Amino acid sequence: MATIRAHGIAAQLPTRFEGRIFVRPALVGTSYPVGQFATFPIPDDIGDFGSGAVNLMGPDDVFATLFEYGPESLGTALFSSQGRPSSFAPDDFSPMRLRRGIPGQSGTQRFFTEAGRPFSFYAVLGSHVRRQSLVPRVNELISSLLISPASNPTQGTQGTAPRWN
Amino acid sequence: MVALVVVLTFVVLLLGVLVAGLLRSHADILRSLHELGVGVGDPAGTSERSAARNSAPPVPAWSQTSTALSPAPTVVGVTPSGDARAVAVDNSDEFTLLAFLSSGCATCAAFWEALQAPESLDLPQGTRVAIVTKGPDREIPSEVAGLATGRVPVVMSTEAWLEYEVPGSPFFVLVDGASGAEVGQGVAPRVEQLLDLIRRAEHDRGKQHRTRRRPSARRNGPEREADADEVLQNAGIRPGDPSLYPQSLEDVFPSGSGAGTTPGSTGRQSAQTQ
Repeated sequence: MATIRAHGIAAQLPTRFEGRIFVRPALVGTSYPVGQFATFPIPDDIGDFGSGAVNLMGPDDVFATLFEYGPESLGTALFSSQGRPSSFAPDDFSPMRLRRGIPGQSGTQRFFTEAGRPFSFYAVLGSHVRRQSLVPRVNELISSLLISPASNPTQGTQGTAPRWN
Repeated sequence: MVALVVVLTFVVLLLGVLVAGLLRSHADILRSLHELGVGVGDPAGTSERSAARNSAPPVPAWSQTSTALSPAPTVVGVTPSGDARAVAVDNSDEFTLLAFLSSGCATCAAFWEALQAPESLDLPQGTRVAIVTKGPDREIPSEVAGLATGRVPVVMSTEAWLEYEVPGSPFFVLVDGASGAEVGQGVAPRVEQLLDLIRRAEHDRGKQHRTRRRPSARRNGPEREADADEVLQNAGIRPGDPSLYPQSLEDVFPSGSGAGTTPGSTGRQSAQTQ
């Protein structure tokens, strides 16, 4: 299994997964690490939550983003769950939870705090109908993640603008 | 006197061993060069092949087989900016071209430029290009960053060079994503020759190639419509089929079917036990 690690996040990629862990150059303020993982080729120029990628998914594909928020989110109700979800159930996925509603797909999102860092984990299934076989792939991925305390966020005044979707 | 003869004999023997070793080393070098196709010292130097090699433009050394060479590993490394990147070569139905380039290699310059504009190369549809340099231990990240345009993945990974047994740059490996195996590898001195080799590999793959029907951003409306029609027909769904006209969400996601579950059903339990 291939393992990637950067910015205090490591992932032992399950079969056929590829991924990247990066910090976008901050145009203003501070940007934090993002991990993107998929069972299909991830284009380089996509949004943090998969815009530009989810439209390329096949019915057997999975896409997931691990997105870190700033320390101001620590202690808030949204991030009160300690530790990432150990696994997802097929019912956790719904076409209504997609950031971009592409017919046939479904998604889920969880907010949590781990290693003193606030995160959200957002996953998309290429086919909601096939969620019984695809959700275990998401669970494989999320169980392979390793999050370490603290990483130095990127501060800056130049570079590409943050991407929200 | 006897001592002198003994010493001289010993020296002669020593020199003999030395000469034999040198000859053997020379033969090993010639054999290696011959295997690489250089042909220096080739006893068949006047053969047709050598004559053709001398008169025609350099022929790319490219090994290609109709059967897959070997499973291709995921390329794992860092980007020039220090982020982590893994490029899998077995998660696509199409070809992945891994271009092993260096920042300081003169021959590589044309490939750096051409391969980062893959849409202008007339590659087989869906072919993905990834550039792999040696890791930050062997390459200067800022120099690689200066060459990277961000249009194709650029991964710095000495490990990948070792795994793919790259002899030097530029070197190319073509992987068929459907099988996850290498279908060709070697060197090509010019971009045009590399493209010719890729097209040949595509031709060899022929019509046996089956895709997993992944949408392409490049296909237009009528092409997507034709694809949808084909998939539906293969599934036995003809025009007018009732499944094409759902009356409710239940018709689309039947709760009692094996494909879906209702909240609290066994689907949740089975997933949680994994």
